[in-house]
Amino acid sequence: MTATTSVNTVLGPVPAADLGVVAVHEALLSVLPGAQFAYDIELDRAAVFREVADRLTAFKSAGGGTVVDAGGMYAGRDVPLYEALSRATGVHIVASSGQMETGMLGGYFLTPQTDPPTPWPAERFAALYAAEVTEGMVVPRVERRGAAGMISTAVTADSMTPTDESQLRGCARAAKETGVALTFRAGSDPLAELAVALEEGLAAERIAVADAGEQAEKVAAAGAFVVFTDLARAVAFAQAGDAERTLVATGGAAVAFGHDVPPAAYDELVRGVPAELRQQLLVTNPAALLAVKEA
Amino acid sequence: MPYVSPRIAPRINTVLGPIAPEEAGFVAIHEHIGYGMPGSELDPQWWKTPEQRYEETVPKLRMFHQNTLRWGGATFVDATGICNGRDVSYYQSLSEKTGVHIVASTGFVGGDTALPFFERADVDYLYRQFVHEITVGVGRTGGKAGIIKVGVSRGFRMKELDLRIYRAAARAALETGVPIFTHLAVDAEPAVEIFAEEGLPLDRVLFGHADDGVSQGKVRDRWIAEQGGRIGFDTFGYDLELPDPPFWGRPRQERLEHFLGYLRDGLVDSVLASADANCSPLGWPGVKGHTVNYLFDTLFPALRQHGVDDATIDRIFVELPAAFLTLQPQN
Repeated sequence: MTATTSVNTVLGPVPAADLGVVAVHEALLSVLPGAQFAYDIELDRAAVFREVADRLTAFKSAGGGTVVDAGGMYAGRDVPLYEALSRATGVHIVASSGQMETGMLGGYFLTPQTDPPTPWPAERFAALYAAEVTEGMVVPRVERRGAAGMISTAVTADSMTPTDESQLRGCARAAKETGVALTFRAGSDPLAELAVALEEGLAAERIAVADAGEQAEKVAAAGAFVVFTDLARAVAFAQAGDAERTLVATGGAAVAFGHDVPPAAYDELVRGVPAELRQQLLVTNPAALLAVKEA
Repeated sequence: MPYVSPRIAPRINTVLGPIAPEEAGFVAIHEHIGYGMPGSELDPQWWKTPEQRYEETVPKLRMFHQNTLRWGGATFVDATGICNGRDVSYYQSLSEKTGVHIVASTGFVGGDTALPFFERADVDYLYRQFVHEITVGVGRTGGKAGIIKVGVSRGFRMKELDLRIYRAAARAALETGVPIFTHLAVDAEPAVEIFAEEGLPLDRVLFGHADDGVSQGKVRDRWIAEQGGRIGFDTFGYDLELPDPPFWGRPRQERLEHFLGYLRDGLVDSVLASADANCSPLGWPGVKGHTVNYLFDTLFPALRQHGVDDATIDRIFVELPAAFLTLQPQN
């Protein structure tokens, strides 16, 4: 890593070396698409802000420096809110582009107003997400703001749908083109899904795989990072020799609407990782992943 | 002193509050201020500045107002579903500034436009969503929906989620009295069955887009009319003669003949008509030059040429829609 490598945070580029302890694969505000229109859900921005801010402050008090929102662009991401939170708490916030698995996509991507209604191909996903890095993240129908720091997607749990594959390829292309990392939540065959991303020419070290399950060792052996939400398992995995490929996450969200997501205690990551692994898992590995790779 | 409930005056829900049916005047029964597929808001390709949106929209509504002066009032029914860019506070400002009554929708254009939160919801939740938007208001706007939109997902066959939405809509319509609009009139048998099971009279349902190009050969509109349903000739103007017609377009004369057939057969009370135009489309290019004012510029001269008298036009665009939009709670 050179001194000039930087990370795209919501408040602008930050040297990778300045991130400190990183919660690398989190959700700050998690909104199941559509819940924003539910008659009985009120998204009180002041309350949301305070809830997230308290969790960020607790993280900072425990030694935390950066939180990455890996929810992508359509699961509650709120860039102006994240900017204000980062300013208020002093915690760096990295937000992501990309969208989750097929079932989470809007009809614009699945049943467009064409005959027949063909779902989006990889190149359209690639262009949409790459622009969020090069031109800025969208505030829907309003404006673009800071650059996305990661591309995040997911594969349907049962098995990869054709649209999951198109989107995964598009995300990998956008990551390769822009230099930010790709992360995806694996479906039923993490190694095969990783192979799809690798086929797009993205280096394995630029990819993090969450929910790799029984294939975690193989994913690490292929050169990608493995994201664990089970801290004990992450520690065992790291101690068994794959510390340089291990990342940890709470598996929760600071605030969630429309679905049940456990509340995230980012400070627990700092306390839960044994001292001898802290630097590797919470500082070195996240910085390597998040540092924008020069084209 | 015993409590006496006030008489509920007959009303149509507009975004600025209820109006008497007599005030509605000329009704464009199925239109859009702006429609986009869910998720299109993420793609800056389609974005317009607020200046542009008002600039594209206000003159069309003002022209609509001008065109409707002889009927007194102007009512524009926006049939945009919950996740399709429906924007009630924007409609309120447009209505307030142009004098056009705007009726907004609750519901969904089809299961494939219901986002995951609603896709996972059961009939009872969807019913409560609709009732809330009709009786309390949409979001924080205070504007109440005046119709419920339902529809058939792409593929011309009702899907399970479509059916769930239809059933929830039927229950909400019975309770609140608003009418139901369907997107597409194809595969109507399961819809008719659900409405019968729920006890909703079919004259509270407008089976929309019965006249569009892609539905022909698949839509049993006369059968629907025989059951008592209303038939929507509501894509007037999406003509294949246009330079770049949409895939649902149809030869102009063919659509007109289809419509005139109803009038000749004495079925005028079975039809409602509109242009389904976007003032300022949200997630697609739209069809250049096609506006609600097609009704006045092109349709009415054509109808008159075919001997349709003013009384018939008034019936279709004033009397029938006013009765249809008037809240008719069944309990």
